Amino acid sequence: MSQEPSRLRMAVLGVVVLSLFATMLARLWFLQVLSGPSYRTEAQQNRVRIVVTEAPRGRILDRQGRVLVGNRVVSAVVVSREVIADKPEVLGRLSPLLGVSQPELERRMADERFSPFKPVPVADDVPKEKLIHIREHQAEFEGVEGIQLTQRFYPNGSTATHVLGYVGEINDKELEPRKADGYKAGDTIGKSGLELTYEEDLRGEPEIEKLEVDAEGRVLRSLGRQPAVQGNDVRLTIDLDVQKLAEESLVQGLESARDTYDPDQAKRFIAPAGSVVVLDPRDGAVLAMASFPWYDPTEFVNGIKESTFRQLNDPSGSYPLTNRAIQGLYAPASTFKLATSVAALEEGLINPTYTLDDTGIFRIGNETRRNAQGARFGPVNVSRALTVSSDVFFYDLGARFCPGDCRTGIQDTARALGLGTSTEMELPFEADGRVADAESRKRLHEASPEAFPEGEWFTGDNVNVAIGQGETVVTPVQLATAYATFANGGTVYSPHLGGAVQTTQGAEVRRVEPRALRRIDLAPSVRSPVLRGLEGVVTDPKGTAFGAFAGFPHDQFRVAAKTGTAQAPPKQDTALFAAFGPTEDPRYAISVVMEESGFGASSAAPVARRIFDGILGLPLTSVVTAPGGPD
Amino acid sequence: MVAARGQRRRNPVAAWRHVDLLMVAATAGILAISLLMIYSSTRQRQIQAGLDPAFFVKRQALFLGLGLVGLLLVTLLDYETIRNAVPVLYGASLLVLLLVLTPLGTERRGTQAWFQLGPFQFEPSEIAKVALILTLAAYCAVRRGELDTVGLVTALGLAAAPLLLIYLQPDVGTGMVFVAVVMGVLLVGGASMRQIGLLTLLGLTAIVAVLQLGVLEDYQRDRLAAFLDPKEDVQRSAYNLNQSKIAIAAGGLGGRGLFQGTQTNLSFVPEQHTDFIFTAVGEELGFAGGATLLGLFGLVMWRTWRTAAEAKDDFGRLLCVGVLSMLVFQVFENVGMTMGITPIAGIPLPLMSYGGSATVATLLAVGLVLNVHMRRFG
Repeated sequence: MSQEPSRLRMAVLGVVVLSLFATMLARLWFLQVLSGPSYRTEAQQNRVRIVVTEAPRGRILDRQGRVLVGNRVVSAVVVSREVIADKPEVLGRLSPLLGVSQPELERRMADERFSPFKPVPVADDVPKEKLIHIREHQAEFEGVEGIQLTQRFYPNGSTATHVLGYVGEINDKELEPRKADGYKAGDTIGKSGLELTYEEDLRGEPEIEKLEVDAEGRVLRSLGRQPAVQGNDVRLTIDLDVQKLAEESLVQGLESARDTYDPDQAKRFIAPAGSVVVLDPRDGAVLAMASFPWYDPTEFVNGIKESTFRQLNDPSGSYPLTNRAIQGLYAPASTFKLATSVAALEEGLINPTYTLDDTGIFRIGNETRRNAQGARFGPVNVSRALTVSSDVFFYDLGARFCPGDCRTGIQDTARALGLGTSTEMELPFEADGRVADAESRKRLHEASPEAFPEGEWFTGDNVNVAIGQGETVVTPVQLATAYATFANGGTVYSPHLGGAVQTTQGAEVRRVEPRALRRIDLAPSVRSPVLRGLEGVVTDPKGTAFGAFAGFPHDQFRVAAKTGTAQAPPKQDTALFAAFGPTEDPRYAISVVMEESGFGASSAAPVARRIFDGILGLPLTSVVTAPGGPD
Repeated sequence: MVAARGQRRRNPVAAWRHVDLLMVAATAGILAISLLMIYSSTRQRQIQAGLDPAFFVKRQALFLGLGLVGLLLVTLLDYETIRNAVPVLYGASLLVLLLVLTPLGTERRGTQAWFQLGPFQFEPSEIAKVALILTLAAYCAVRRGELDTVGLVTALGLAAAPLLLIYLQPDVGTGMVFVAVVMGVLLVGGASMRQIGLLTLLGLTAIVAVLQLGVLEDYQRDRLAAFLDPKEDVQRSAYNLNQSKIAIAAGGLGGRGLFQGTQTNLSFVPEQHTDFIFTAVGEELGFAGGATLLGLFGLVMWRTWRTAAEAKDDFGRLLCVGVLSMLVFQVFENVGMTMGITPIAGIPLPLMSYGGSATVATLLAVGLVLNVHMRRFG
């Protein structure tokens, strides 16, 4: 071998070896010293799993602290996925014990909502004996355990269910904006009602446990646990007694209406649904809010069955999930005359003594309008017209706003009182309603020329508005708000249900303050004649609700009210009634709306009468359709 | 000369005065770290499974014992004597490589590379590496450093036979070690620069062909893809690489402490006691430990290189060059893959990874180098 090239080549080999070692050392330095810290974090995350378990939700209480929505501790059976992976036969033994088929158990085990590092709940509400059996035969039930879970509990059943709402598993749409707040798939969230409105207060802080796991995800030990903090309680303005009274009275009213014959349609009234709202006019606090039909919120605990949910959304069931108090839209009919009266007096179109001879007929162009049931009331002023519910008087007022282009005085007043505009209350999904005018007509026509072929606004339309018919629709809570506003002298409060947020121990965290939306000026020259007219409705023998309030202690508790009967062809008439009392210092404003139930005077008024009776502690009788004039 | 040779025969202890103590010390150091890290990386998993935590380290100690006996035997014989046995050794290596492909061999993860001997496995390709080093060194030494085309083709042919059998297993990793050995021995053993250039070109073409022609198994292609883009799919192939890098980097300058590495204790790095043993060193002993280990390897390489340079004959020199090529390729490939600078291939870290055949083979190779060193004053 020639020595020279060999030596050179040995040198080449040496240099190659050296450079390879230099490369390795440089890379090692780069990895360990220069980028070590970030990798160290990754190594940490590698071994630590964070398991988040929801806290029990806060409770919802009535104004006196009585539980409307509480929590119930139930026994559940949980199964470790890890053990079952090794010993699938355990499920076979568990299936007959729990009465759940094995495929169903396997399906529940595979539910991805549950953390892979915690045992999976496979059965709720398991009787104690079965849990004891599992514990006594733990060898046969390896990986199976009994635990305590908290669930939503409704001690009063369906009472106030629409207001309270229900909870359910969070869906993707709800989850996306809340991820930053720590929500994760499978969490429980308020879906409707106050459960949704006060979600942040009710939710509490979840338990956070750090677990050390190995590469196969086996839990080795707990690295620490931050215990759950139960959500805060929400105390409502709802009074459980008044709520129950309202619901009971509404159901009785509807039942009674179903026994009543409807001469227009030659059959009994269907009376499928209705709503009652009781407000405190002094601050807009909701004392009761009832909507019939209702549903059992317990159905939603642990996820509602698909068949039950379909049933709840079936048209034949009149949509029990709908909160008609805030979502039902009804023509206000004669209850709207409050707004017409105030507007006409306010604008000076009439004065309190202005009298019109009601001949039972009102002519507009070549059209003739009549009072309901062909009544003739003779000379009536505004008070009298309200008491007896003279349509002719108000037709005339409606027309008086329309020399040339109609002015929107009536509409403006109605909206200012709270009709046909959102009350901005804290419940989700509130409907706005509408007070019809030239503009709303135009919008309707443009949006749907087929349903609304007429785009112009005529005097005849304003005449309709004056008696609360036509395209004007309001919700029951708007109706109650309008009368509460008139009652308190003109302050429009946004109706509120939340009173205070408080800790489980009862310490107040936050008050929910009443919120005045606006004021409407009600001069005595405007308010007095209207109030007189509304009082007459229940006290004057010719008043439309005189019959319904027969025997009521008017001297102790003066009530002002207005009946309404809305035509809703092809459906039967909607019965409406709005009232407040005591008139000198109003504490209650009530609206009653009953679908396909006939006259407001005979069907809706007795419901309100019974509620007033109950509030006053008078002996209660069942609601029966009262005699009373049409309106 | 004759007297001297006769004297050495009568006094076989004489050569032991020239034993390379530095090489012995460096090797011993690596082996000590190896036992420690094999224990560390298997202990927790064994405890989890309710098994003996020292199971693997005990077995490795047994392999070491076996390997050290082999090393001793190799150093006792003059390597000139071993040279005479080269044709037999080469033939034997081809025979076992052939046999392992028959039903006598055992298949694991798609590779037919082992004989199952009771509780142990024997991997003939590891021993074949040493046999090839001896064969190539002997052949090139005979050609006195002047390789013409016929000589080159013969040398390549000698390497190609076992290489082909290994590709049939298939074991791409060990095949690559063979190529490294061939390149190293030919570089020093007299191939012209033109031949080496040509060979390099051929090698590159072969690599491209291997990648393109589907010679690679799917998992091998995945590993390569993971190396080229580790962020692509952390869950699958890149998982190894990512966990490996995390483990090493998490060690930092001083390491997380012996038995304290979470990546190591919690089995995040697959194959950690075998191919990925360096990650345990990296995580628990840090840069200090990793650099020390590389330093010890460097020492072994340097001593091997020195021995090659000082060898009394071409056979001894090329023997050392072959061993050096094998070691440096395996160390660079193995340590490099754990740090993400070379593709993942199933090549053990010499003297460190758990495994009997590789340990014994590497110790035999070290023995050969010690042998050449001891007898450098021919």
